[in-house]
Amino acid sequence: MAQRLDLLDPAEVARLGGIEIVAEGVVEGFLAGVHRSPFRGFSVEFTEHRAYQAGDELRYLDWRILGRSDRLFVKQFEEETNLRAMILLDASRSMAWQGTPERLTKRAYADRLAAALALILLRQRDATGLVTFDEQVRQVIPARVKAGQWTRIVRGLLDTPDGRGTAAHAALQRLTALLARRGMVVLVSDLLFDRELALAALRYLRHRGHQVIVFHLMDPAEVKLTGPPEVRFRDPESSVSVVVRPRELARAYATTVQREIAAWRKACRRHGISYHHVQTDMPFGLALRLLT
Amino acid sequence: MSFLHPLALLGLAAAAIPALLHLLQRRIPPELDFPPVRYLSAAERESARRLKLRHLLLMILRTALIAVIVLAAARPLIPLRGGGAHQPTAVVIILDNSPSSGAVVSAGPVLDRLRVAARSSLARTTSADRVWLMLCDGVLRGGTREALLAIIDSTHAGWQRLDLVDAVGRAARIVDAQPLPGREVHVLSDLQRTALASGRADVRRGVRILALEPGSAVTNRGIASVTVSEGAAVIELSGSTPAGRDIPQPVPVTIRIGGARRDRGGGGGGGGEIAARGLATPGGSGGTMRSAVTVSLPVQSLAPGWWLGEAALEPDELRVDDRRPFAWRVAPAARVTATPGSGSFVAAALAVLQEGKRVTEGRDVVISGGEAAAPNAPHAIVQPPADPALVGQANRGLAARGVPWHWGDVGTPGNLVAPQLPALDGTPVARRYRLAGASDEVLATVNAEPWLVRSGNVLLLGSRLDTAWTALPMAPGFVPFIDALVNRIVIGEADVNSAEGAPRVEFRTRGTDTVGATVFGPDPRESDLTPATPALVTTAFGGRDRVEVLSASALSAERFSGTRRADASAILLILALLLAAIELAVATRTR
Repeated sequence: MAQRLDLLDPAEVARLGGIEIVAEGVVEGFLAGVHRSPFRGFSVEFTEHRAYQAGDELRYLDWRILGRSDRLFVKQFEEETNLRAMILLDASRSMAWQGTPERLTKRAYADRLAAALALILLRQRDATGLVTFDEQVRQVIPARVKAGQWTRIVRGLLDTPDGRGTAAHAALQRLTALLARRGMVVLVSDLLFDRELALAALRYLRHRGHQVIVFHLMDPAEVKLTGPPEVRFRDPESSVSVVVRPRELARAYATTVQREIAAWRKACRRHGISYHHVQTDMPFGLALRLLT
Repeated sequence: MSFLHPLALLGLAAAAIPALLHLLQRRIPPELDFPPVRYLSAAERESARRLKLRHLLLMILRTALIAVIVLAAARPLIPLRGGGAHQPTAVVIILDNSPSSGAVVSAGPVLDRLRVAARSSLARTTSADRVWLMLCDGVLRGGTREALLAIIDSTHAGWQRLDLVDAVGRAARIVDAQPLPGREVHVLSDLQRTALASGRADVRRGVRILALEPGSAVTNRGIASVTVSEGAAVIELSGSTPAGRDIPQPVPVTIRIGGARRDRGGGGGGGGEIAARGLATPGGSGGTMRSAVTVSLPVQSLAPGWWLGEAALEPDELRVDDRRPFAWRVAPAARVTATPGSGSFVAAALAVLQEGKRVTEGRDVVISGGEAAAPNAPHAIVQPPADPALVGQANRGLAARGVPWHWGDVGTPGNLVAPQLPALDGTPVARRYRLAGASDEVLATVNAEPWLVRSGNVLLLGSRLDTAWTALPMAPGFVPFIDALVNRIVIGEADVNSAEGAPRVEFRTRGTDTVGATVFGPDPRESDLTPATPALVTTAFGGRDRVEVLSASALSAERFSGTRRADASAILLILALLLAAIELAVATRTR
């Protein structure tokens, strides 16, 4: 029995090929695991009947035909593309960091997660777009449902280089202008920027009626501090450095990180924003399942 | 504090290692990218105080750990009270086994208590010490600990008195001459007051004198001496009475006179034992008992020859002074001639003595009246001439015989003082010549001027033995006085000496003649068991900064304490382990 790619170690899955292959494999496995679409449109349109098969949901049985001909038929519908999803991907320098070479960088993990998410949405015929940003907005692919949209999104991911600093606030503000119709906004980031400014932008989106989902990406090495007895840690974005002894600061650091996660979670919940903490060693399927 | 391996202290420089490592490590940390530096900074800000304290604590602990280990390696020796090894010490143990140590106090001899203390002192010595033992004979004995222990175990109360001041002075000089760090003298004695009466010991600074405190005072009486004179034994008593119990009590004295020893010059005496008893009432002051009792000797003991006797008291706490032998010589009857000028009283006395066979006719002793100095007589007793005009002639006669004395001008009247002739004491002298001369023996005085002198075999009187000159011829002691003059004084008394030792009498002989005797017995001062006060002991042994008077338990703790050291390395190693455990706990628990 073939293993489901969505449940394998992300680094191992990434070695299978490019983003498209990985994303498709992940989505195939993911959709096989769920029995219905994780996302629902605003309306559906009838297309045809087909004979009932064991396992079909009874609510789709056509009771009229059953009453007239005593035969079991189910109705099939085509969902309309009323959902407009925009994926915001943080491409800053901090995202290009990995704790160990065996793991994916946060950016690589985010690319694959975004590609998989976009594929799922597009297969549901939801209009899906992509915005990548660091200090500035680097790529903007408007939400569409037409064929080739996923390819454009993947190319957009590939064409976005690792940036420098992070200006989520500016990117999100610009995004509000792009999202005229309300829809779904998925932010994939390590959230290493000013929380209050970012939350202000997210709150604004929420205020405009958007469904907002935040994927907080962290490398496991960012959760549990390790390293040489004494080391100078440097922030790749701001070049701020600090000399610490990881062993004696590990407990305090872990407490700080947990407090930060809890702060994000609490703030998001307060404003109706879905918050998900994802570590880069988490299988993609599990990360996607957080959305169901 | 001192160290067995002081060079190891150089390792203390290693105590700087933690600080150096800290400084060196801080300068070259590797640099790594780490995006969530903001979290690190926040964590560090919150933990800065705790971390600073932890770093300081760890550095102190590590520095202290190294310092303690280095100190332990140097093997520090710290001064200790009680147990523990001591540095090499020169020590003299003075075990005073003088006669007084035989006194029974608290159901046991004093010497037993002293011996226990001596053994304890010796047991504390080590092979690095130099040890001497001094007993009452004053001899310093060196040797191994085992040999000295054997001497202590075999020691008994001796017969010699120990002058503690002199003994401590000599012991202090011996130990002071030794090139050893410690110098001690352990004085284990009953600390009789009389043994400290000879001044103050010269003890140099650095020499510790540790004296065992004396026991309680006890009552004792002993026979200090026995002298025989004119048919009577004079018994001197000595001893001590504790304060509050100095009410005089009669003391029965028994005298036993043994058989006589014949000598060539005497006629010999009878054998057997003659007992006599007397009753003395002790007197004295300040706890010291001094008294004398005179016991008349029986007539048999007046027979010529050497006589031995023994005076005894009833037993008390100190037995060695309860008996004392004595000896005296009764000379054979002298052959005496009195010249006509000697006077009627002398002639009458000689007649009485002749009747009593105390003298016989002969010219061994000539008693003259100053007319001549009896140039041919072996012994002469010369009175001044009755006629003052003949004094010059008489003086020339004395000079011719080689007598350095002569009669001078007339002296003032007075009473006789004659310690050696108690019968004469207080007799009035109305008329006399001053005796002028030098040296020789003055036997009696009047107004502190010689009245009876002996020069060789000539006795010279300042007055005639006549009632016009002195009341002596009328005194009851006149005949015994003439007896003493002719039989004892002019011939020369037998030489009886006294010496310290086990009670006995030893005769000295010349050829077949017995010429003297030595009577052995304990020193009379040993009978006084009054202990010296701590202040007196301290003063006599060199002063407060050198002397400690201690109880047995305190002495046990104090001996060798001046140089007693304990190796503290074990304690330091335990401390190091403790520090290491604390360091480990701080390093792991405070992360």
